[in-house]
Amino acid sequence: MKRFLPIFGFVVLFSIAILLNCYIATYAQEFDFNRAYDDYIYTYSQYRVAHSEYVSAKQAYLNYKTLTSKTEAQDKTLKMLEWRDEVIKTYLTALRLKLAETTGISNYEQNVLYLKLDSEVSWYIKHHDALSSAGSLEDLVDSAEEAQGKYQETEVLIYQALGTILSGKETTLRQHLNQQMESLKNKIAEIREKGDKKTTIAERWLLEAENRLTRSQEKQSAAQQILTKIKPYDSNKNQSYNQAQFALEESHQYLKEANLNLRELIREVKSAD
Amino acid sequence: MPTEKIADQTFEEIPVAEEPVEEKYFTFGKFKLKQKMVWSVGGELAGLLIVLLILASLLKKPSVSPKQTQLPTPTPTPFEEEITSPSIYATDSAILKIEADLKTIDQDLQSTDLKEVGLNPPVLDMEVKFEEE
Repeated sequence: MKRFLPIFGFVVLFSIAILLNCYIATYAQEFDFNRAYDDYIYTYSQYRVAHSEYVSAKQAYLNYKTLTSKTEAQDKTLKMLEWRDEVIKTYLTALRLKLAETTGISNYEQNVLYLKLDSEVSWYIKHHDALSSAGSLEDLVDSAEEAQGKYQETEVLIYQALGTILSGKETTLRQHLNQQMESLKNKIAEIREKGDKKTTIAERWLLEAENRLTRSQEKQSAAQQILTKIKPYDSNKNQSYNQAQFALEESHQYLKEANLNLRELIREVKSAD
Repeated sequence: MPTEKIADQTFEEIPVAEEPVEEKYFTFGKFKLKQKMVWSVGGELAGLLIVLLILASLLKKPSVSPKQTQLPTPTPTPFEEEITSPSIYATDSAILKIEADLKTIDQDLQSTDLKEVGLNPPVLDMEVKFEEE
């Protein structure tokens, strides 16, 4: 029996190693946008709880100005600020993973945004770690102000990343439509050469559809222009983003029209003269 | 009359020679393994396998609460008039393929979410002040 002990031990260790490896691999694979988004939602709910406690503690301190209420206010402020940094960090991570999952974004654009997002996340991690070393309520207020300034820059990046995600979707759809348009062009040219069906109407409608695609591209460029113009000190960044989003919706409408034109064109080709 | 002294003996304590138990072997080609040994190692391995399976099920990630599935919004299907007099291209494979692809694109166009409301930035209280307003 003793002779089998080393073999038995090896089998046990080997099995445990395989099991752990599988578990780690599964966990790593599953960290996608959905998981990151769940993390963000959970963190955000924790932040809201911490924030309401902070508001109460702040009010108590402002009313009584006692040392006890000040200590309580300091504790609650620290907790709230820590969760706030955590919310921004998890949100930016979710945004990064959404960017990774979205097609139609150029590699260059994607990498630039990754770098910027990673840099922001690092900043908030450092800030989060430094918060606990604040010795007084005043120190915490200073630290919070620092994050407030930083968040203005972060917001610009957030809106640009969001705009890029939406633009990516539009680009993908337009690429698909362009492919179909090219196939149709070739087919119509082939029909014209054969001369067994009139192609005048089809060619005119093809131009109409092409025109719609161009308009769609123009609207998308306009949206991107709006997004690049957002500055950290702008007080209405959200408004600018909404404008860009509206332009993208217009761009989308043109894509729908182009698709409808192409479908009508197909009908025309399938019908006898 | 001389009495023969009989030595005190407890016969129960005298070891009785055991009958040799015949060992059974499994033979695998040139190898000979005791049956007893094989069964005990096999049993232990089976036990280990069960423990590992239980561990694996415990280590499994807890299932995430099911997300609310978005109900598909009904979209009006465009009225497609039947082609009464088809051309020779009505059954052309290239044309039919483009038609099918355009239908798929149409579905994508209808289902694309261009708002991504869930990704709107979080509303955060960035102003931390301890002064009377």
